[in-house]
Parts: sequence; structure tokens; C-alpha cells
Amino acid sequence: MKCARCLLQLQCLRLVGQSARSVAQYGALLQSVSSSQPNTLRSTPLQALRGFHGSPGHAKGRPVPAEFIDEDDKKRDKSLVAHDDLFERVAKEVKTKATFNKVVDVFIKRDVRRRGHVEFIYAALKKMPEFGVERDLVVYNRLLDVFPKEVFVPRNYIQRMFNHYPRQQECGVQLLEQMENYGIMPNMETKVLLVQIFGEKGHPMRKYQRIMYWFPKFKHVNPFPVPQQLPEDPVDLARFSLTRIANDRDAKVTVHQLPCTDVTESGEQITQPHIVGIQSPSQVELLAKHNPSRPVFVEGPFPLWLRKKCVYYYVLRADPTPPDEKVEEPFDPERCLDYPLQLELDLDRDLGDEESFDVEDVDEGPVLAMCMTSRGEQAILNQWISGLQENNPILGRVPTLFRLDAGPRELQGAADTESAHHHGPEPETQKEERQPQEEPEVKVEEEPRTSQRMKR
Amino acid sequence: MSLPKLTRLPSVRLLSSIQHHQLLLSSIAPPAAPRRAVSQGEYRRPGQPKEDKFPGQPINFGFSKGFQGIKKHFTLLKKEFSDRWVGPQGKPLLEHMLEQNRVIWEFRGPESLDQWTVSSDREIGGQSEAYLKLGKNMNTCFLSGTLSSTPPRDGETRYSGYCTMRSKQSRVSFDRKKHNDLSSFNTLHLRVRGDGRPWMINIATETYFSHQKDDIYNYFLYTRGGPYWQDVKIPFSKFFLTNRGRIQDDQHPLWLDKVNTIGFTLGDKADGPFQLEIDFVAVCKDYAHTEEFAYEVYKRNPEI
Repeated sequence: MKCARCLLQLQCLRLVGQSARSVAQYGALLQSVSSSQPNTLRSTPLQALRGFHGSPGHAKGRPVPAEFIDEDDKKRDKSLVAHDDLFERVAKEVKTKATFNKVVDVFIKRDVRRRGHVEFIYAALKKMPEFGVERDLVVYNRLLDVFPKEVFVPRNYIQRMFNHYPRQQECGVQLLEQMENYGIMPNMETKVLLVQIFGEKGHPMRKYQRIMYWFPKFKHVNPFPVPQQLPEDPVDLARFSLTRIANDRDAKVTVHQLPCTDVTESGEQITQPHIVGIQSPSQVELLAKHNPSRPVFVEGPFPLWLRKKCVYYYVLRADPTPPDEKVEEPFDPERCLDYPLQLELDLDRDLGDEESFDVEDVDEGPVLAMCMTSRGEQAILNQWISGLQENNPILGRVPTLFRLDAGPRELQGAADTESAHHHGPEPETQKEERQPQEEPEVKVEEEPRTSQRMKR
Repeated sequence: MSLPKLTRLPSVRLLSSIQHHQLLLSSIAPPAAPRRAVSQGEYRRPGQPKEDKFPGQPINFGFSKGFQGIKKHFTLLKKEFSDRWVGPQGKPLLEHMLEQNRVIWEFRGPESLDQWTVSSDREIGGQSEAYLKLGKNMNTCFLSGTLSSTPPRDGETRYSGYCTMRSKQSRVSFDRKKHNDLSSFNTLHLRVRGDGRPWMINIATETYFSHQKDDIYNYFLYTRGGPYWQDVKIPFSKFFLTNRGRIQDDQHPLWLDKVNTIGFTLGDKADGPFQLEIDFVAVCKDYAHTEEFAYEVYKRNPEI
């Protein structure tokens, strides 16, 4: 009992001493503010600052010493709005990595104790996409650097057991989670910082270890990889996406028309869209065997997503061959002498070695060619068909029908407004009038809107 | 049997509990009481009051419904008994033993769509839409819609933007669960046609404890896009364990004898329309694949 009382008294004494010390320090701070000498602030010993962290009660009446960055920052309160505001004020005109770093610098220099750093980091994480730095590992490491070092490291097992400084640890985990969501792999610097801030076994460190464990496992798991930076040029982009969806190494990409802008005599600008097509040798063969009395269809636009970008493609296809017209063509054994095209081996298979599925194939018409263009009008697609005629002379005799959907193009126009003026007239009006045709066989199919909707 | 499952407690409870915290407002509003990571019952949107319904209120005690229920359940029971006489799972024994592949779901008509449920983040207040219908030639399944990753404005939810299609739990008589026994196969075989977006395949199995009810095995389904069909074969050993979207430290192989549902989820944060066409979902036996589980199950040092 006596012992306890002694301890209490001792503690009271220490508290009094501490508060006296703090009062003295406040005086010093006030002086430094009035004489506007920030250097005294920075030179205060670190050990003396330790005492302030555990006692938020002291901080209430504390004067704000860090007014040397912004003179109009007098009424800074502790809410988050201040940090959002800081980002808005510092990066008023341009939002770049440099200005983001400047904001972080301003915050670091504002207060030695980094008061309110958790709120600042949350605000910074939220602002990162605006500044275009959400994929920058260096910036994440700088943000981690805002945490004061060695303060949140648990010093004994009891602290380690009881989730030491939970808000700060959550903030660290949140930062790592945003990195994870953007697919950025932390590096050794991140690890060193995390160890310095939260210790070897804190929750942020665990999160780091999980990221480092799982990320490399799934790094190359995509069999159809898309580069992080898609080609800017629409023709290159079309070439890339067409080779991706064609799934045939032999397929040949043909640029039927390059994008160009002409000025007519009347001063009007005519923009010619690009037309890029792809056709593989087997498709040429299929088209050559096509029955000329049956029409082929130009269908589209169909969407294709490359990461966050959506492009549209058009397909030239035929209806499925009716069963009475199907002819089983025997393999020509002399077509390839090195590699036998047909093998009839009796492998002595057992009853249970049947591995084929009992699902009939979806009978859709064969795809004969594909193309991409920035303006999916019938006239433009007509140019593509006439370009295809060079390799496929049968197209001159086959009627070509256009089944173009209107739906996705409106979406596309809403998505990128800069290309919206390219689509001049609506496709429905296009369907009404007959195009000036190069080949007389091309017909325009008039279909009710309902059946248009039925298609994809 | 239950020993390895005992160690599967959610070790990332901290991470999932963070998700519910009031972000960025902690300095203004008093922090909400920490919620249990494993909540009972259905998902309830933050801010919505609990429904105080009298327990017996919504139950329909009508005679016709009761009669229909009896009829349905006893027909199922009769089928169950008669199937036993034919062989295991209603198939002759020889066919059952020699079975190398099995088509679990194919789409031949509108009634096959009743075995699936479609949901999107509308349930949590998001703006995505998803629709399921039959394909153009009426024998495929066409899942389409719009993805929107705008999070709901309830102050707590941070991420949004998913659309998912999940098969319904198949049931036998008296509403007992029927598990798909796929233990004689090792590969999932799909024929799909997507639009280039990455999807995720989720397989939910029967769990031992009720706190594992959100345990789901996942793997990625990458689509090529374009007009061609794509045959995808994914070995079951590749599927990894997650709980509520968080990948778990303790990984365990899938229980293939107790597969409940399979689902397809899209959540790639790219806002816009999407489509996925599925021809069939099947399982097969790949003799070349001998891997049992693709991830480490031994104790690692440092333990993650």
C-alpha cells in the first residue's frame, strides 16, 4: 500500500515536472514564432519530443508554431479538410508529381512532430490519382516517410500483443493496400521504412510480406498479356488488337487507309478515318469456297477491352452452312508430306479412355475477316470490303449485307467526346439511303430495330 | 478430417475489419465500434436500420403451397430412391466408373438460366448492372451489363464495382443440400467468349464451420476477346482460398467432393459495358496434370 502511494507521488512529481518542462518549451516555441526562427524548432532534441506523443490532452491548448510555410495558414484546425485544402492550395495550377512532392515537403517541414500525419496520409492517398502519381513507387515511399520513425515500434511483448498504435498501423496497411490495388510491388526501401516505423512484426509489415509473397506468383499468369502502355497511334492500336483477337500467327494485317485530313475547296475539313483489316490464309480459303448465292454479312461493332480502353471491331462473316450443303472434304495426303494430316492408329484404347465432350459445337457462321476503324459507317466499311476484293475476288460476286448495331457506338461517343464529332449522321439514317456503290451487288438490309436489339 | 480446417481461422481479420472503418472522418466523428469480421446473417448496408420483423409474419401457411411443397419434395424423394437402383448418382455403374468428363452446365433453352443467379453491386449501393439471357442462337448463355466502380456514398464502403453470376445451390428432397462430387476429375473445362476483360472463377465448397461460409476458391479467367470461342482448362489445383475477397495465408486444396456452387465475377475497375458468353461448364480428367496443390501448404518462415 505504502509502496503504491510512493509510486503515485513519484508519478505526480514527474507529471508536474513534465508539464513544467512543456510549459517552458511552449514559451520557447512562442518566442521562436514571434521571432520567426524555425531553426530552433528543428534543433529541439528528439527525446524531449517523445513525451508529447502519448498525451493528446496537452496538444489541445498548444499554439501552432509552424506558420513559416504559409502566412495565411493561421486558422488551421485539426480536421482533415485542412489537408485537402493544402493539396488544393499548393497545387493550384498544375497537378504533377513535383507539386505532390512539394505538398509532402510542406507538411514535413510544417511541424517537427508531424502532428496529424495519419489524416495527411489518408488525404494524400485520396489525392494521388488526381496528381497522376498513383503508380509511382517513389511517391508511396515518400508518403511512408511521413510517419515518424521508431515511435510506433512496440518495445515489449505486452505492447506487441495489444495492437500498438492501431490507427497508425491501419493507415500504413491502407497505404500498402492502395499500392496493391494499383499493382505496384514494394521494394527494399519500403521494407526498411516499415521496419523503422512499425517494427518487424507490425500489421503493415505482415501486409508487405503478403504482397511480396503473392504478387510474384500471379505476375505472369495472364496468357494474353496487354502492355501497361498501349500504343498511342490508332493504327498501331488497331494492329495490336487485331492480332490479339485473330489468334492466328499467319494472319496478315492490312492497313487499307491511313488517317488523314483533307481540306476541300470550300474550306471544309474532311477527316478520313483509318481502316485496318486482318485476314488469315485459312479465312481466304474459306471465303473462296463460299457459295456466291448466299450473302456475307458485315457485323459490328463489337467491343474489345484492353485494360481500361475499349476499342470496337467489325466482322465479315457468313451464315452457317445448311446441313444439306455441307461436304466432307477428304484430306489431300500430298498437301504436307512432312507432317501427316490424318493418322489412323489403333492405339488399343480402353473403354474409359474417351476424352471428347458430348457437347455439340455452337454452329455459327465462319468469320471471314475482321477490321477496325474509327468511324463505323457503312461507306467506310464499304471501302474495307472493296479493299478485301484484291485478295478475295469472290467478294465482287457475293452480296454483302450490313448489320450494324447502333448501341455500342453511342456509348463510345459518350465515353470519348473528342471523337464524338467524327460520327456525323446516325447509322439509322445511313441505312435509309443507298450508298453510291462501287459494286452493284451490295445491298442494304433493312431490319426493324427490334431485331437489331436482339443481336449483341 | 477437420483438423486442417481448424487452422483456417481468418488470420487477416485486421485487414478486413479496416474495411468497415469510417475512413478519414475519424478525427471528426467518434470512431465506430469495431465490428466483428464474421457477421451473422445477410449483408446490411451501413446506415440501414435492422428490420424488426415478427418471425412468423412472412411465412405463407396456405394450403395450396403446402400441397405443392409436399408434391415436389416427395417426387424428389422418389427420384432419389429410384436413382439408387440404377447406380451411383443415377447412372449405371459402368458409366460412373469410366466417366472421364462431365458437362455440368450447358445452356439449352430458357429454363437452364434458372439455375443461375446474377447479382451486381446494386446490393451494396453501387451502380453496376448485369443481365443474363440466352445467346443469339439460343444455346449459349450471354451475360452482359455495365460495370461502374463508383462507390456508394455511405461513408464506409470504399470499393465497389462488381458483377457476378453464380450457380444456385442444388437441392434434393426436403431442401437438403446436394453437393457436386467432382473428385474423379481434376480440371475445369470452359468454353467462353469474352471481350478481353479478366474474370474470376469462384468455387464455393461445403465448409465445416459456419464462420467459413464465406470461404471461396478463386482463379482467374482471362479472355482473349474477338469473335472466336476460347477453350479454357483450369486445373483445380490452381484455385486458391479467399475469404470475403481477401486471400488467405493458410491455403488448402479444394474439397472436390463437396462443390456447392461455381461463379464468375468481374471486377476489373474498368468502367463500361461488358459481355461474356458461356457455352458450357464442364469438368474433365487431365492425365498430364499431376499437381495436387499449386501453393505452399507447409509452415513458412517468416510466416505470412
